[in-house]
Amino acid sequence: MTDVTLYHWEPNANSGKPMLALFEKGVAFDSHYLDLLNFDQHKPDYLAVNPLGTIPAMTHGQHVLTESTAIMEYVDEAFDGPRLMPVDPVDQWRTRWWMKFLDQWLAPSFSMIGWSVFVGPSVRQKDPAELEAAIDRIPMPERRIAWRKAINGAFSAEEMAESQRRVALGITYLEQALGQRDWLASNSYGLADINGFNLAYAMPLSQPQLCNDDLTPNIMRWLRAIYARPATRACWALGRTDLARRISLLESEPA
Amino acid sequence: MTRILYHGQPNGPSFTVLAAAFEKDVTLDLREFDLVAGDRHAPALPHPIEVDQSIEGEGPVFIVDGVAMTDSVFLACYLDEIGSGPALRPADPYARWQMMAWCRYVIERVAPAAACLGVAAHPPAAVPAGIASADLEQRWRDAVEGRADEARLADSRVKIAQAVEKLETQLADGRDWLMGDFSIADLETHAWLAGMRSIVPEAFAASPLTNAWEIRLRARPAVARALGLANVAHPEAIWAPGPEINRWG
Repeated sequence: MTDVTLYHWEPNANSGKPMLALFEKGVAFDSHYLDLLNFDQHKPDYLAVNPLGTIPAMTHGQHVLTESTAIMEYVDEAFDGPRLMPVDPVDQWRTRWWMKFLDQWLAPSFSMIGWSVFVGPSVRQKDPAELEAAIDRIPMPERRIAWRKAINGAFSAEEMAESQRRVALGITYLEQALGQRDWLASNSYGLADINGFNLAYAMPLSQPQLCNDDLTPNIMRWLRAIYARPATRACWALGRTDLARRISLLESEPA
Repeated sequence: MTRILYHGQPNGPSFTVLAAAFEKDVTLDLREFDLVAGDRHAPALPHPIEVDQSIEGEGPVFIVDGVAMTDSVFLACYLDEIGSGPALRPADPYARWQMMAWCRYVIERVAPAAACLGVAAHPPAAVPAGIASADLEQRWRDAVEGRADEARLADSRVKIAQAVEKLETQLADGRDWLMGDFSIADLETHAWLAGMRSIVPEAFAASPLTNAWEIRLRARPAVARALGLANVAHPEAIWAPGPEINRWG
């Protein structure tokens, strides 16, 4: 019996952040899987929970929470279990700095590439009229534009080049930070690592020329250490598509 | 412990951090620098990733025992954690989530729009040397050359009007402060909206609750002290490039 329900897609990017935080805290929750590629997040049942139609959302008793990074902080504060925000106030600052940097600078670039190579092609074979109707149901105008671009393959060459530039730079920043300390924001495992792992777990597969044992040994060490955690295994077991299965790459030994 | 705060005029992110420090009674070594002249990029300051790649764009740099920190809301959280004054964040986890989600909205939607409009109205004279981030340097070039397109400015004005509507809704139950008790959300919201009254006056045409909230806020001793550090008549008219407008629209 639990009073927590998480509405999520794959253990990946924004959905995976509160999922993994809940597993790390040992909080039982009802998992409510929404198929992003089937536009489940814009259907009336879910809009009744989160009128903006963004994923993930979490309910805890009467409360409804959105914004994945803010949900993670809530999960850490509202439930018992191992502490995921560092104790030191400077480390707390660094945790929030990195989460914002990942959320607002690096993740949008990764997702532009991801939407162009995965989400767009995955939904493109659907009936055009049905697709158009599905897009019309999206509450946020910004998301309607993003979906149309993904489906039509309309990200400009300049936008894609800028995203690739940021991905390459972002990888060097992560490698630098992880060369300075055990975990991304402090010397204890925490929210910044959970956030970062959801963005970075497939990097050795999607960006093999930029992220590998030779060039980025600290990132590889960090990804394997997070993959080895029981909570990570349990979380990724909730994945249903090839997207989540990319994690198996981390079973490889260092080269 | 040494705490040095390099800050600009009390507007935008510098306002949030100065007022939060005074609210919390934290003793700081205050050092004014000129964000519009690009002082943040000078070799005399430390340049770790967290300074050079700050999402906030041009904002204060806070150095605690050699660690250089940026991004005003998180600096305010730090000050709340270490200072002795009344709490600037709710204690209840759900109320705290509400505050952090509100600040996230301001950081992600309001601040980029305000900075875009601010530099369009008050363009900086030149692109400073030494900017490490290529995208921030591009925002400087656009600001100096007055290159914001009309669609972007129009959308930014809409974002400011929406923010004021959101404030009116939030204050409609008669509360004094956005989250009930005074918090970082009040400071960060005022930080970005103060300069918008002259640039987007239509957004404030019917905003009695917002107007009264602003008067209350500016009457607080810590806020008045922060504003008193200005050495220009209108610190809210001082703008340097801020956070970028979301690349996804």
